[in-house]
This record gives sequence, structure tokens and C-alpha cells, in this order.
Amino acid sequence: MKNKLGLSMRGRHILEGYSFISLWIAGFLLFMAYPLGRSLYFSFNNMENSKNGLQATYVGMLNYRTAFSTDIDFLPLLKTTMTTMLTQVPLILIFAMFSALLLNGKIKGRTIFRGIFFLPVIIASGAVLKELLQQGAAQLPIFSQGDLEEKLSGLIPGNVLEQLLDYADSLTLVMWDSGVQILIFIAGLQTISPQLYEAAKMDGATKWESFWKITFPMITPMLFVNTLYSIVNMFTKADNKVMDYIVTQQVFQKNNFGYASALGWIYFCLIALVLAIVFVIFRRSLSATEGRG
Amino acid sequence: MTTMKMRSLSEISIKSNAVLKHTAAKRARNIIGMAFYYFVLLSLSFVFVYPLLYIISKSLMRPEDVADATIRWIPKMFSLGNYKVAAEYLNYWPSLLNSVIISFGSAALQIISCSLIGYGFARYRFPGQTFWLAMVVFTFLVPPQTFVVPLFSFFLDLNWVNTHLPFVVPAVMGHGLKGALFVLIFIQFYRQLPNVLEEAARIDGAGAFRTYWGIMLPLAKPAMLVVFLFSVVWHWNDTFEPNLYLLVPEYFNLSQSMAFFNGIADVSSMQAASSTGASSAIGQAPTLQNQIMAGVMLTILPILLLYLFTQRYFVESVERTGIAGE
Repeated sequence: MKNKLGLSMRGRHILEGYSFISLWIAGFLLFMAYPLGRSLYFSFNNMENSKNGLQATYVGMLNYRTAFSTDIDFLPLLKTTMTTMLTQVPLILIFAMFSALLLNGKIKGRTIFRGIFFLPVIIASGAVLKELLQQGAAQLPIFSQGDLEEKLSGLIPGNVLEQLLDYADSLTLVMWDSGVQILIFIAGLQTISPQLYEAAKMDGATKWESFWKITFPMITPMLFVNTLYSIVNMFTKADNKVMDYIVTQQVFQKNNFGYASALGWIYFCLIALVLAIVFVIFRRSLSATEGRG
Repeated sequence: MTTMKMRSLSEISIKSNAVLKHTAAKRARNIIGMAFYYFVLLSLSFVFVYPLLYIISKSLMRPEDVADATIRWIPKMFSLGNYKVAAEYLNYWPSLLNSVIISFGSAALQIISCSLIGYGFARYRFPGQTFWLAMVVFTFLVPPQTFVVPLFSFFLDLNWVNTHLPFVVPAVMGHGLKGALFVLIFIQFYRQLPNVLEEAARIDGAGAFRTYWGIMLPLAKPAMLVVFLFSVVWHWNDTFEPNLYLLVPEYFNLSQSMAFFNGIADVSSMQAASSTGASSAIGQAPTLQNQIMAGVMLTILPILLLYLFTQRYFVESVERTGIAGE
């Protein structure tokens, strides 16, 4: 074997490994680390667009303080995004798991059904979703039609009912948002050995019990992946108001680069915090399933 | 709970001799169970097909059909007039070409680069690996919008704005739209493959790259298909990055043109509303709505066709890539 550089086997192995990922590292430095660093610098400065490019004047924490005190739009938007995230992510996860269980059975036409369940990922995203929302097509007619509201108003107090109906309205969006998650859950379910279920059945476990004792623990890792994915997706998808606000308002209309960067960093810290909480919640259950076959 | 019950019913029941007399009752229960199972599946499917049906139905309606209260879904006379108007507003063929270039170009580049990078992470052990892997996850988690300002000014300095370079160069380096996710998918896939293949190739004298290119890459077809389809679809629907880097209408892709068209429609409906004094409940004149839906249909039709032909392999591939692993 030729060994041009006179490296040991181990050295060569390391070098080869690094050459495979070197492209990514270069990209990371250029398109992640550099802009991230710059935006952190921007966020502490007031950026002026002048003849000789961007002019920075150091203002300390001013941009951050403005976001929390003077800006009347930012905090409410942030709050809305957080509540949508908190209410919809659990729904998405439950629905995705339910659908995955439905689609995992050995049934006729399951390929077609799976194809259909993934359809919204193709069509109802980005600009198209915006159009559909605008036309009110993102709500199921069942909830808006008829006089459901009147009928129920006798049974449930007004303000609770209103919230319930809002929730029902968002169900369509929840379902459309869970395509990727359904796929991930199905892939996870496929990895569970049927022998486990057989053994449980022999021991007299009901289906309900074997779901909680076998299926659920076995797909906890996918649940974790899906939770992360759903949260990130919620925070960054096309109809997210905070994103719109940061980009359109601050950058293109007001040219307020420094302030926009500060808003971006606040938003990022919030996301990081949410993700950290998710990590902590899942850490115990994940370490329990580690080392399985 | 019902789910599990239904699954049990869907499985062919194992006949044990002790329960022979229950078989008839069991079969009846099976049939009811199956019926219920399909009912749930079909009604859920309806929710997923609903937007598509809505788009198709609205886009084919003529103004008279809109006004006709008896028509909800199926117009009396099909008309492609909306499509003609929409195609004109969308500047259809040039926009389509732009969309194809951006989506398929970036997807192809991302397959090549992300597969290479994923292979390096999955099959090599080197110092600093954990750190770089953490950085991949980090890249996936950071929303691109948070550092978009400096990135934009960076591309501006390089004179890359209004070219395709802001899409091409990051894609070549395994970044770009959701690039980190694609790297993770490939890592997960390559990890599952057995070591023997590589060892055999190395013993036969193949170098690192040759082993990758000749032996491992051909095995990665399922992962490549998944990444390709995801990448095409996400690039196709993305307006955020094109809106930043492609600022002149000649470069607009379909989704951008669609948003633009919608903007025009909004303005004209506002004018119409203010001139007549009436305001439509949804904010757009009914015919405009239909034209927009025709535009939407035109926008999604190409990827819908692509999905139609690949979805079979796609769903199977997702299972085999082990996207879900870990």
C-alpha cells in the first residue's frame, strides 16, 4: 500500500475523514459562523446605510432594550407564536402518531393512503398555504357551517366555546403540518420487531397494554425527533408572523439592520430555550431506551 | 385505544382450537372493525385532499358559477379562462424555468454534497467529530432568518445578488435550504450499512474516495431519493430566500410570481371595494379568487406530477433510510 505522506494508519483515517467533511466545515464557516458573528456584532450597533457602505455606531444593549420596551408589536407577536407553538405541537404529535399507527397496519391500498397523508407537505406549504388561508379554505366546513356555535352555546359558556371553536379551526392546519412527522413515526414503527408483540400477547397483554409497554417506549426516539422538528418548523414556517416582522419590517422597509439583528437574536434565544427544555424532558426516557437492539 | 383495537382486528386472527366457536362472532367483529377502520382512514384522507379539491374546483369556475348559489363544488361549465389570466400574470413559462433551475439544481447539488459529508461523519472516527456533528445539529436548529441580514450583505458584497450563486454555492458545500437536515439523513443511512463492503473494497486496493463512489454511493439510492424529493419540494415552495436574493422579476420563480400576483389582486380588489363601497367578507373579489386558485394550481402542478410518479418509492425509501433512527 502506498503511503505518500508517511502517515500511520490512524493518521490517514483521520485525514480521510476530515477531507470528506471539509466541504461542510468550509460552508459552515462561510454561511453560518461568519454571518452569525456579524449579526451579533450588528445587534449591538446602530447600522447606517451611507455612501461608503454600512456604518456602525456602538450603542450597547439599546436595540435589545428597545425590543422589550418601546416596540409595541414585537412582544405580542412573540407571545402569539409561543401560544400557537405550545397548543399545536402536542396536537401535531398526537395526530401524527395516531395516523402512523393507522397507516402501519397491513391494509389494502396503504401506499395510496400514505401518499395522500403526505400530500399537504407538497401543496399546502409556503406561498400556496398563504393563499388558502386568505380564502378561508384552511378551515373545515364542518365547524364553520351549520349553527354549531348556536347549538353549543347552551351547553358551554361563551368564552370557553369560542376558544374551543378556534382550536377546532386550527385542526386542519395541524393535520396538514404533520406529513413529515407521520412518515418519521411510520419509519420508527417499522423497526419494532413483531416478535415483541407476539411475546406480549402470549403473556396475556391487551393491545392497550402492549402499546404503552412496547410501541410507545420503542418510538420515544422518533417522538423526540418529531418534537424537535415540529418546534423548529413552527418557528420558521412561511406564515410565521415574527419572521415576517423581522425580515420585512425591519430590513426592507426601515433598513434597520442593527435592530433586526437584535430581534433575530432574541428570537433565537427563545427557540434555544424551548429546545433546551425539550432536551431535558426527553433526556431520561431517551437514556432508558439507549442500547436496545 | 381504538387504534390498537383496530390494528388487532386487521390482523388475521389466529385460530386456536379452544376458541373455535367464537370464530363466527369474531369474523363479524372483524368486518365491523375493518369498516370503521376504513371510515376513519377515508375521512382523514378527505382532510388532506381537501385543499387540492378546493383549488381545482375554484380554479375552473366562471364568474357566473361563483354567483350561482346552487354551485358549491362542480361548476356547470368548465372553463380554463382563469388559467389563461393566471398564466399571464404569473409570466408562466419563464417563472417555471426559474423554479426548475433553482429547485432541481439545488437538489442535485445537495444530494452530491450532503451524501459525501454524511458518509464522512458516519464511517470515520476522528478527533473533533462530536463537535462538528453538534454543529450540524445546531445549523439545522438555527432559523436562517436570524442571521439573514449579514448573509444578505455578504452576498451583496460578493455581487451575488440577482444571480443563482447564493443557491448554488451553499448547496455545493452541503448547506442551503435544510442542508443540515439532509446531511443528518445521510449520516443515519450510512451508519446502518455493514462494514464488510468497505473492508473488502479497501483490501482490493480501492482508495477512500473510490470506495465511497463505487461501493457506498450506489447503495444510498433510497436516501438520495428522499433527499431529492424533499429538497425539490422545499425549494419549490420557498419564497423566503428567492425574495432575498432574486430581486428582479426576470428571476422570479413560480412561488414568488404567485405571491406577486396575489399582491396585485389584493390591491385591485381593495380599489373595487372602495369604489363600490362594498367589502367582500374575505377581502377579494370572487373572480379574482378563482384566478388566484388557477395560479396556485399552475404553481403546484409540476411538483404534484413529480410526486405522483415518485411517491410509491418515496414512502418506501423513507422507511429504508432510517430517517427516524436515534
